[in-house]
Amino acid sequence: MSGRISTMGMYDQGLAALLARQSEAARTQLQLASNSRLLSAKDDPVGAGVAVVLDRASAALERYAGNANVLANRLNLEESALVSVGDRLSRIKELALEASNDTQSAESRAAIAAELRQQYDGLIAAANAGDGTGRYLFGGSQDAAPPFAATAGGVGYAGDQAQRRIEIAPDVAVADTDPGSEAFLRIRTGNGTFAARAAAGNAGTAVLVSAALADPAAWDGGSYRVTFDGAGNYQVLDAGGATVAGGAYVAGTAIAFRGVQLTLDGAPAAGDAFSVQPAPAQDLFATVKALVDAASAPGTTASGRAAQRNAFYAAIEDLDQARDHVLNVCAGVGARLAAIDQAAGEREAQSASLKSTLSGLRDLDYAEAASRLSMQLTALQAAQQTFQRVQGSSLFDFLR
Amino acid sequence: MTDILATGTSALLAFQRALSTVGNNVANVATPGYSRQRVDLSTRGGDYYGFGFIGAGVQVGNVQRIVDSILAGRTLRSAGELGRMTQFATLSGRVDTLFSDNATGLPQPFSNFFDAAQAVAGDPTSAAARQSLLGDAQNLVGRFRSLQGQLASMDRESDQRLVDGVADVNGLTSQIAALNREIVRRTGMAGGAQPNDLLDQRDELVRQLSTKIGVTTVVQDDGALNVFTGGGQTLVLGDQAQTLATVADPYQPTRHSLALSSASGPIAIADAAVGGELGGVLQFRHEVVDAAAARLGRIAAGLASAVNAQHREGMDFYGQMGGDFFRMPEPATYARSSNGGSATLTAGIVDASALTTGDIVLRYDGTNWTASDAATGAARPMSGAGTAASPFLVDGVSLVVGGGAAAGDSFLVRPTAEAAGRIAVAITDPNRIAAAGPLRGSAALGNAGNGTLGAIEVLDAGDANLLAPVTIQFTGPNTYSINGAGSYAYTEGAPIAINGWRTTLSGAPAAGDTFTIGPNGPRSNDNGNMRVLAGLDSGGVLDGGATSLTQGVAQLTSAIGSTARQAEYARSAQQAIDAQLGEQRNSVSGVNLDEEAADMMRFQQAYQAAAQIITVANETFQSILAAVRG
Repeated sequence: MSGRISTMGMYDQGLAALLARQSEAARTQLQLASNSRLLSAKDDPVGAGVAVVLDRASAALERYAGNANVLANRLNLEESALVSVGDRLSRIKELALEASNDTQSAESRAAIAAELRQQYDGLIAAANAGDGTGRYLFGGSQDAAPPFAATAGGVGYAGDQAQRRIEIAPDVAVADTDPGSEAFLRIRTGNGTFAARAAAGNAGTAVLVSAALADPAAWDGGSYRVTFDGAGNYQVLDAGGATVAGGAYVAGTAIAFRGVQLTLDGAPAAGDAFSVQPAPAQDLFATVKALVDAASAPGTTASGRAAQRNAFYAAIEDLDQARDHVLNVCAGVGARLAAIDQAAGEREAQSASLKSTLSGLRDLDYAEAASRLSMQLTALQAAQQTFQRVQGSSLFDFLR
Repeated sequence: MTDILATGTSALLAFQRALSTVGNNVANVATPGYSRQRVDLSTRGGDYYGFGFIGAGVQVGNVQRIVDSILAGRTLRSAGELGRMTQFATLSGRVDTLFSDNATGLPQPFSNFFDAAQAVAGDPTSAAARQSLLGDAQNLVGRFRSLQGQLASMDRESDQRLVDGVADVNGLTSQIAALNREIVRRTGMAGGAQPNDLLDQRDELVRQLSTKIGVTTVVQDDGALNVFTGGGQTLVLGDQAQTLATVADPYQPTRHSLALSSASGPIAIADAAVGGELGGVLQFRHEVVDAAAARLGRIAAGLASAVNAQHREGMDFYGQMGGDFFRMPEPATYARSSNGGSATLTAGIVDASALTTGDIVLRYDGTNWTASDAATGAARPMSGAGTAASPFLVDGVSLVVGGGAAAGDSFLVRPTAEAAGRIAVAITDPNRIAAAGPLRGSAALGNAGNGTLGAIEVLDAGDANLLAPVTIQFTGPNTYSINGAGSYAYTEGAPIAINGWRTTLSGAPAAGDTFTIGPNGPRSNDNGNMRVLAGLDSGGVLDGGATSLTQGVAQLTSAIGSTARQAEYARSAQQAIDAQLGEQRNSVSGVNLDEEAADMMRFQQAYQAAAQIITVANETFQSILAAVRG
């Protein structure tokens, strides 16, 4: 600064300083009013770009939470439908055990059969459970109409095998409700590995007592037939008709072959046979239907009683498989619900971290801004006062 | 006696002049560009009286204008720079606010669109979710269009500023030329003494001119001032002013650039050679409006292309394959106004990931077409023949030439610059949203093995047999046939690809097991396609797959913010320099009232003393008269 200053320069300088203080204070005031450190991207271009990405991530997390809610609702409904199916299956098992008891009369069996029929209808209703928005839980991707319908021969399935997955957190997708085909239709029968069944036309009184897999390593997954000659001997034939095992039949003693232990009771007639084959899949409804049929069978003759007892044996075995299967599906639903809970925790943690980063980028430190504003206002006041004083003194004032 | 009177009179006259100069200084204390003036006093030559010389009083040598000519040159340059930067910073700040504000910027509707897509993925059969996706898509498209509209209106505004600025510049240059003529005339008349006030006026006009366009000056011996643009083109030569004009862009007639009128037609002034406010406007149009529009358009094109490609791989609620979700914005093409042939150009975007933000010039030399970058002129690699069957492909754009081109004809192709204004939502029926995957698989319920089908992935949505049902039947535990034909070895987890789709089988199937894959039905609640679509915001779509759409939006915000910030910094730095120069100029040339008051007292006292001398001379004369009278 040279020693000389012009009057206008002094005025301009004072005014410029005043205006600068004023705009600083106005800016701080705007920051305080909007609670934002960044009034536009130019205040921190890199930060503004990062904030765009983080805002997007934060919004996506909220959307995932919405998806998770819808999904959790559906899975909860599926869980309760499956629990209801499980309860019914337990009741059906009780009824089956009751009905299979030899002390039951034909009348009492008929009463049990009537309740079984009701339970059967109840199962179809449970399998047609809806999600409350007009969609059916067990229809796969075709969930607009009830997936299960009673037909003449059993129960028809109108859904498909599709099971969608829903994103509930970044890169975390959880399967939606199970399609009816997997929940109720594709169920292994027998003991889960093989099924031993009496042939349809057995004339003797031989009944199945137990069919166990004693040595899983020896089981080869083939189909076998145990036949009786009526003279106290049995033969085990494979699918090609070759003899695998044979010997004298003793009631109550296990017939063993290929790891299978088959225990029979009663007297088989000549030509009676029992089949052992890899457990085929059968739907839950067919299993219960077989039970209803067994309970409704007359069972007046000795061989008829044996057929009924064999039917009960098969149905109860299948029923146990069905119940286990439904419980497994139910456990899977529980695991998915747990995954949703866990994802919710992860989302919250991520959201909190995003929010704190965003806040650091954007939010205003009120204490700092407030003290800055008060300092700026003091400076503004000082500028105004000095302006007035400096402008007010002129040599001309003394020329009087 | 006469010599005392003459001396006194000379002093009276001199101090009167000095006082009137002080008065003039005081009067012009607030006149912009005024330089204080000072009276140079000198002694009059003395008379010889035998014993020596006796002084003959005082005379006014010159009325001097106090200026620092070096400082004046710097002030001029600074004014040009400040004008440019102020204009650039102010205009960029407006674009920055436009893109930063949630109510006008892109990030919010962009994020909402993908959230709505994720909501459809979460609940594909919900009519509300589908409707909301269409609504959010409309909002996003609307935001693209409104931002593009704002940029276009700023472009028009820039053009208007150029036209107005040219009128201002022409007014100033003709005034400067007129002043030059007057100054030369008066200097000649006054025998070399300068007409100070006219010089101040001229300096002030030149400063205003520099603020407008940025100039340099050269003083001539006769007192005239020649004025040139920053690039060296003449604006004022002596008493002649060159007329500045705007000329229409050869490709886009609504856009103008600057030129100097001459007898042989307009001479273009390179944008880089223009300073001042007009330079700021040109810089703003290039670096902010064009760049922002191109980046915005590239995001629009990338979004439309990625979403459309995915949407076509899905199946809608009616069970039909999805079509375009967005209407793909086609590149803008402009024929050069001088084109002699009848050629037309049709452009389309074929590969959004290869798009750049630059414009392309397509030129015909009589036998070949060549492509070059519009900004740098660098050649761009181009393939194809330019026919509908084999279009030219350059930077992700396909170009088909129709009609006959004459040698020298050229076209401007702006692949992304106007794309944001051309994107639209192509579907109106929410049920047309292709949320479902087109195919579903099933394992026969009687399957003895535990083989399971994996997810089905569409590789080519255009395959004619995509939806044809396919049965995979196991003829043995390790071999399978497809639709009853062939025998293929089964490897667990190995992909099986047929009819434009791919899936995997896992587990141990048994002989006789069958798996069928067929079309998903109508009203499916499948979300396979929408899940992928909702994740497109974070997948690599731009820059050959290196940049995701979200990053593109973030880069748009930060690039504009960064330009505005640099402009703001440069402006405030230049303002400080300008203020400093102004202060220095003021300290040399500005009027200080206290100084003038002191001068006034000084000259007043001197004047009073001189009057006293006349009184003394008079009294001396009277005393001699009295002595004679006796």
